[in-house]
Amino acid sequence: MIDFHQVEKHYGHFHVLKSIDLHVQEGEVVVVVGPSGSGKSTMLRCINRLETITSGDLTVNNLTVNDRKTDINKLRKDIGMVFQHFNLYPHKRVIDNITLAPIKVLGLSKEEAEKTAMYYLEKVGIADKAKAYPSQLSGGQQQRVAIARGLAMKPKIMLFDEPTSALDPEMVGEVLDVMRALAREGMTMVVVTHEMGFAREVADRVIFMDQGQIVEEAEPEQFFASPREERTQTFLSRVLSH
Amino acid sequence: MDFAGAYSPENLKFLLDGLYITLIVAFAAIVLSFILGCVIGVIRYTKVPVLSPIMFVFVELIRNLPLLLLIFFIRFALPEVGIKMGLITAAIAALTIFEAAMIAEIVRGGLASVDKGQIEAARSSGLSSFQTLWHIVLPQGLRRMVPPLVSQFISLLKDTSLAVVISLPELMHNAQIVIGHGYTYTIPTLILVAVIYFTVNFMLSIVSRRLESKSI
Repeated sequence: MIDFHQVEKHYGHFHVLKSIDLHVQEGEVVVVVGPSGSGKSTMLRCINRLETITSGDLTVNNLTVNDRKTDINKLRKDIGMVFQHFNLYPHKRVIDNITLAPIKVLGLSKEEAEKTAMYYLEKVGIADKAKAYPSQLSGGQQQRVAIARGLAMKPKIMLFDEPTSALDPEMVGEVLDVMRALAREGMTMVVVTHEMGFAREVADRVIFMDQGQIVEEAEPEQFFASPREERTQTFLSRVLSH
Repeated sequence: MDFAGAYSPENLKFLLDGLYITLIVAFAAIVLSFILGCVIGVIRYTKVPVLSPIMFVFVELIRNLPLLLLIFFIRFALPEVGIKMGLITAAIAALTIFEAAMIAEIVRGGLASVDKGQIEAARSSGLSSFQTLWHIVLPQGLRRMVPPLVSQFISLLKDTSLAVVISLPELMHNAQIVIGHGYTYTIPTLILVAVIYFTVNFMLSIVSRRLESKSI
């Protein structure tokens, strides 16, 4: 579903992504971990072309992401994205945050879009906040709205860019619960996170990145119990020791 | 000081005629410069190729010239090259061009102040760049622009008095004529004109505060 083949990315002289090869199957949950600045978020953002690649091939849902002929909006409507800072639209109520893209991009009627929105709001457990403005919600609630907003487009893939990093500790759980449920339903997910517990429990595959490279990828049991690479071992010993 | 003489019915009517011209010119220039300023501001914000650098030059050129020069230019220089227009049109044209340059910068700044993350969220949900501008950036940007825009409109209304130099029969111009009828009229007339300008502009400020309190 997502295929990186020898993808390179440079920011000027800075080599952000180095020969990335990554293949994500339908229904798979891939969790990407690694130190800050390792290129995990950049790699994720290449998938829906929030970042462009310098060379290599990247296909998503059989579309060549960086082909000029590719209709980028068509590609993006099948890829939901959840951001670290939620990025809800502060001037719109929760329900309108969710219905905007389904109405404008998918061409749903307002009623249909609102019905879908309410379905997903219920699913993430905050249907009672539909008429509220984002600023009236807690961080955890805002992030759940953001997930509902992504889901309302009925995407084939959901991307999560450090979805719990900006949350107070007591709100991390509610967001991870929603993501866990989503994974169980078979959504194709790529998750960049520092939540090792989530990676261990939910991931089909864990990817470890460092300095722009994929250093190691493995199933979670093996990844956490017996990492092959020294860099992975060092990283894990740092993040798991506390 | 001859208040009764200065405030004779004929003089009051004459001053109100001046106010009428002031308001007409200001209103027309506010509407036109707002539209033009929004267009230029959006072009600058979205960095439209070719157009955006041209608009940058236009904005910088106009911003750094005195309005008085612009009024003189449109009224006296343009007819020399065959572009003739009436007094009121000339005043509206000068004010519109001048204020549009100011408003373009306010608009560009307002749009640029909208958080990038929301634009990414909108784009990644499949909205086009125009839809993102229309539904996400403009509504928020416009609200933030209200206070500086109203300040600019208040300046504009006061700047209409500069058209006195081309004998536009606006409030300040007519006040000068009333004062010309007798030196005892000077203080009463200027006080009345001050009250009129203040009242109109203060009402604009009140509207601005109301709009601001509605924004988030």
